[in-house]
Amino acid sequence: MYSIMPTHQTDPRLLSLLHTPGLWRGSAHAATGSAFADTGVSTGFPTLDACLPWQGWPRGALVEIITPLWGIGELQLVLPLLRQLSQQGGNSVWFAPPCSPYAPALLASGIDPAHLYVVSAPATQLLWGIEKALQDAACALVLAWPGRVSHRQIRRLQLAASAGNTLGILFQHGAPRQSTAALRLRVEAARQGLHVEVLKARGSYRQSTVALARGTP
Amino acid sequence: MTGRLFQLPLLGRHQRTLRVARAHTAQKAPGKTPRAGRRPPLWYAIALPQLLGIPDTQARAAKLALLAQRLEQLSGTVSVEAPDSLVFEARSSLRYFGGIHSLRTHCRQLLQPLLSEWGLPVDFHQAASPTPAASLLLARAGCNLLVHRRENLRSALGRLSVQSLTLPQQRRQQLHNSGLRLLRDVWRLPAHALGQRFGTQFLRQLDQCLGHVATPVKAYESPPRFNSSLEFDYAVEGGERLLPAIEELLERLCAFLRARDLSTLHLQLSLQHEAQAATLIALDMRHPGQSRAPLQLLLETRLSTLSLPAPVCGMQLEAWRFKAAAAGTQPLAGLGAAEGAAAQAGPARIAPLLGLLQARLGDAAVHSLQCQADHCPELAASPTPGDAQAGPPPTLALQARRPCWLLPAPVLLQQHAGQLLYRGALQLVSGPERIETRWWSGQEVCRDYYVAVNPHGMRLWIFHEREGERRWFVHGIFD
Repeated sequence: MYSIMPTHQTDPRLLSLLHTPGLWRGSAHAATGSAFADTGVSTGFPTLDACLPWQGWPRGALVEIITPLWGIGELQLVLPLLRQLSQQGGNSVWFAPPCSPYAPALLASGIDPAHLYVVSAPATQLLWGIEKALQDAACALVLAWPGRVSHRQIRRLQLAASAGNTLGILFQHGAPRQSTAALRLRVEAARQGLHVEVLKARGSYRQSTVALARGTP
Repeated sequence: MTGRLFQLPLLGRHQRTLRVARAHTAQKAPGKTPRAGRRPPLWYAIALPQLLGIPDTQARAAKLALLAQRLEQLSGTVSVEAPDSLVFEARSSLRYFGGIHSLRTHCRQLLQPLLSEWGLPVDFHQAASPTPAASLLLARAGCNLLVHRRENLRSALGRLSVQSLTLPQQRRQQLHNSGLRLLRDVWRLPAHALGQRFGTQFLRQLDQCLGHVATPVKAYESPPRFNSSLEFDYAVEGGERLLPAIEELLERLCAFLRARDLSTLHLQLSLQHEAQAATLIALDMRHPGQSRAPLQLLLETRLSTLSLPAPVCGMQLEAWRFKAAAAGTQPLAGLGAAEGAAAQAGPARIAPLLGLLQARLGDAAVHSLQCQADHCPELAASPTPGDAQAGPPPTLALQARRPCWLLPAPVLLQQHAGQLLYRGALQLVSGPERIETRWWSGQEVCRDYYVAVNPHGMRLWIFHEREGERRWFVHGIFD
């Protein structure tokens, strides 16, 4: 470990690097860590909240959830959020889910399907739709299953999410190694629930793994 | 102080402003105020001699109707006086628009853009008086006069030529031969003698001008169907260049909607080509639209997905299904952002986004989830009969859990050595839950449902047929 503080004011190469918009400095966020804490929305899992710099899901940001297969329980992660949103009357839009969400089950989990819209679109139009929904402040949550997405596309969606102050959650199988999403989680099924690995959380160096029990709502 | 007349400075005839011919100060008897209900109406006439240059009478009538549609924003009673004039009742609108001069400005702002667009001179004659006939006469004669009181009509009209009355040619000649040049000359003669010489029709016109006889006014009623078209001077290729024309058409539509306090749910834009059938763009909106910007966004989005088969030489916008405009609810100014958002939350707020998605992706692309109180798992997710918006969705108090994902159709499970397979061997976790229903409909559902887990950790909702081949199916995935 060494500090770059004494040299970065003198070295022009370093200075130009620091002005690159795609580069964040963890120390800048760490300094304002306390201001970060109340910006999130609780995930509904206290152990997961504790690992995240926002104490929950970030607002106005993009989240990637990476799973090896659909249906291993990844929807468990967002059900508490949907329930909370439903109580506030917020709208959520689902883009190209692998199957049709089953309204009676959602209703039984305390989620009002009246505020939930499903959009199906060909792959070429899907990213356009996701971007429009993320930019719209009327839409509180976007869940999307977009298939393969490039690094540049993720960055564009991240910008859209921060413009509309909308939380966007992308469900992916494999994801590019680099990503500008604010939060990346890898979810795997475990014996008694889910293993959630925090691959990246903006403003935090921690890479932790949490075991979540499968709730029976 | 009774009957003091004062003369306002008269402006030149060619200046297109209204002159006040003679204005009385209010004739006040002490202790008596004039009542608003007794004030005479004020008829505002607009004469457009430039329209007479259009040879086609139908085109002229269509243009006059368009102008009348615009004027409906100013008054509840607009009358089209063929071939070249419009009359509207201005008294009832005076207070709202802040006086006759402000009304005149509005009038000009409404009509001039249309006239300049048609390549016609933008100036027109206008006059206002207590009778529609007098106003028309004054405006057509090019006298931009404002006459407030009925008593002053005689002197205001006196300067006009008798030829400005609508009379048969023979009658005109007769008047001319009698040495009657101006209306002033006519009024010097006794009325019954005039009637004998020139006919009651002539007398009636004079009486209508002076307000002795009421003039029937046929209020213009705009068609309930909106249909407006633009023709281009040359064929236009590509979507981008069509946008100004679409904007113009939508502007017309919105003026139409505002005048009637309507909103539209359905639009049809047809793009005309030289030698081919027109391209039709039908737009069904989720949310009734009344303002231009959202409609334009939807049309532009739809247009961007189209590839036009040929250059466009004209376009036509039609709308015929309307709804009464409903004013949306706005958050109270004092409320915080969160409360304001909550007040506005729900389907109405997200409608513009959904409309946009629908415009580009197709009408079937966006759907909301449906729910019905039914024991049959497939039918429970079908649309509720009747109005889906009314009340909370019906549900059954379910004892067992239901999966968040339901497969479009049950998938037959493979079996190997007595072991059920779905991406690996399945293990039953809980069950059975017996569902027996629809026996009355001939499509009997008779199943035992179980929850099963496969080696990947997927939790599946599977069922076993209780009758027939007793096959196993997977019907849903839990989460």
